[in-house]
Amino acid sequence: MSAVLRHCLAPWLLMAMLVAPQTQAEPVAGTLGTVGSDTMSGLMLRWGEALTRQHPGIRLQLQASGSASAPPALVAGTTRLGPMSRPMNEAERRAFIERHGYPPRELAVARDALVVVVHRHNPLESLGRRELDAIFSDSRYCGAHEGIHRWQQLGLDWPVGSIRLHGRNAASGTHGLFRQVALCDGYFRPEINEHPGSAAVVAAVTLDPRAMGYAGLNHLTPGVKALARRDADGTRHYPDAEAVRSGDYALSRDLYLYLNLPPGEPLPDAERAFLDLVLSATGQAVVEELGFVALPEARRLRQRRELGLGDAGR
Amino acid sequence: MPDSLPPSPVRRRLRQGRDRLATVLVTAGGIGVIAALLAIGVFLAVEVVPLFWSGGDTQTVSPRALWSPLQAEDDLAGYRWDPTATLGTEEPARVSLLPLAWGTLEAAAWALLIAVPLALGAAAHSALFMSPRLRSRLKPTLELMEALPGVVIGFVAGLVLAPWLERHLADGLAMLVLLVPGLLLAGALWSRLPPRLQQALPLGWAGLWLLPWLLLVLAVALWLSPWLEAWAFGGDLRQWLEVRLGLDLAVRNAIIVGMAMGFAVMPSVYSLAEDALSGVPRSLSEGAQALGASRWQTLWRVVLPAASPGVFAAVMIGAGRAVGETMIVLMASGNAALMTWNPLDGLRSLAATIAIELPEAGPDGLHYRLLLLAALLLFLFTFLVNTLAELVRTRLTRRYRRLGGVA
Repeated sequence: MSAVLRHCLAPWLLMAMLVAPQTQAEPVAGTLGTVGSDTMSGLMLRWGEALTRQHPGIRLQLQASGSASAPPALVAGTTRLGPMSRPMNEAERRAFIERHGYPPRELAVARDALVVVVHRHNPLESLGRRELDAIFSDSRYCGAHEGIHRWQQLGLDWPVGSIRLHGRNAASGTHGLFRQVALCDGYFRPEINEHPGSAAVVAAVTLDPRAMGYAGLNHLTPGVKALARRDADGTRHYPDAEAVRSGDYALSRDLYLYLNLPPGEPLPDAERAFLDLVLSATGQAVVEELGFVALPEARRLRQRRELGLGDAGR
Repeated sequence: MPDSLPPSPVRRRLRQGRDRLATVLVTAGGIGVIAALLAIGVFLAVEVVPLFWSGGDTQTVSPRALWSPLQAEDDLAGYRWDPTATLGTEEPARVSLLPLAWGTLEAAAWALLIAVPLALGAAAHSALFMSPRLRSRLKPTLELMEALPGVVIGFVAGLVLAPWLERHLADGLAMLVLLVPGLLLAGALWSRLPPRLQQALPLGWAGLWLLPWLLLVLAVALWLSPWLEAWAFGGDLRQWLEVRLGLDLAVRNAIIVGMAMGFAVMPSVYSLAEDALSGVPRSLSEGAQALGASRWQTLWRVVLPAASPGVFAAVMIGAGRAVGETMIVLMASGNAALMTWNPLDGLRSLAATIAIELPEAGPDGLHYRLLLLAALLLFLFTFLVNTLAELVRTRLTRRYRRLGGVA
């Protein structure tokens, strides 16, 4: 069997697979390729498994090399689905419109948050906006007057000494988001230990009572304590599901799925099946299982209606 | 026998052709390697050019930003590496490569400081004093250490050694301080032993029978360390360092990196130096000893100078590896781009920066080109170190050739 024959046949077979379900009520089949965020890779993997369980013909192919890899793949047309842990920026959006003539379809599929963590025995409970900025930045654009370098400056007798800072490496979306939201677009202090993953940050803080770090919500372990965020009037917002979903906890964000969908056209079947699952109660249960937070119910149903998925969404 | 007959013209031409083909292939291979090396350098240099000069509207980085400190009020001033925050914005670029170069050299210096004395000591001992049987076991074992992947060493150093040392700093210091007197004491005791016992513990096997003694010294150090800490540092070494010397201790610091990388560099330095030392002709050292030199004098005055080109090459190869090593620094250093003399602070090396940031720096962007510049710098570092090593080595070889030394 020559490769030539296979090459000639493959497109036709693929066409047949895609066309068939539309003509008859056959089960959906095909391969969904996705390129994007590594924060969401676990999530996509679990959704893909659930999808194959519902529709044995569909497989989800995952390439998780960072949020920044999604827009180029969407522009080049190598994928139609791009998971991203941050919204597309203006340049990325413009490149997409230039190539395709219409904007990408943006879907929020889950809520996530950044948590500031300390050792589990550390007595600290909460930090204000300015305090957090004064600890992690040397620019203090949020308005603090002087930097906080030692635990005594936070009014604690223990731990003693300097605050040892841990964070993500500069290329990650987590690093970028923390800089924007927590540092008021300022600059990180150079003393911060940069780790290649959120799990490594949490591990470092677990071992050291004098450490403080930031990480993704889904990496929380019993070894560390997540700090509450204190408002100007003194109310504390812990990063619990409720505060993250409503956005009361200021360091929360959406996780997105970007879609190459020409306006007016219906969703292709495989993608329709996938989005139906993601925005269903089952799909959102997976979100919670992995340590993220499910979308607010109203928002989930609104997005379903906009995509023409029907209201069922079990 | 066909070979003894004069070969027929056809066969002779065939053989000549084969010879010529082999020559061409070998030459092509040699030139190919050199060309590839040059091509890497040229590629990096060409890719870096648009960083500074561009024809169109794309942004550039001023060379000043790379080498000079930022001019700003108090906390923001200094040498900073923070490319993602500032590239492509109106803000002054915070892309100084100096902290990275500093981190690279600092890590390599600590690694050599730890590895070279140990490796050369071990090489001299095993080449000159050790019993041949023990040596034939020890050398392959030490060379096997070289096969340990850097990731594994970095992992152990960053996740096991660093937290332990941070909690037991005084223990570590006590062990280090008591080790030297402990070994000297062992030597003194041995020379006082009755001859019968000395024969039972021959010097050539010292590497083996000293092990229990070493363990004993370490145990004593552990047992004594609380008292030593209380006596010398007022009960808390970390606080003493902070209050008295103004030194702040980071969990992952330059010393940890030095220890881990020293461990990685040691086997190759040892192996090359040992080859050089044991290659010194026996006649030289025997002659020296016949003239009344002690073993120690023979080592210092005769064997070491004769083997110096090889020993020097061994050290420089260690230096080259330490400068280019990536994973150990990445995992054991904390990757904080600092420029301090404090060996208890973190550091960040060029190689680790490239490894961390290149996957997410978009192709053809400023950040990407900056990282290529870092790569070019790293390439130049290792190139210089190796060239220097080769130059000094040939010099020394020429000088000591008349002694019958080996390279």
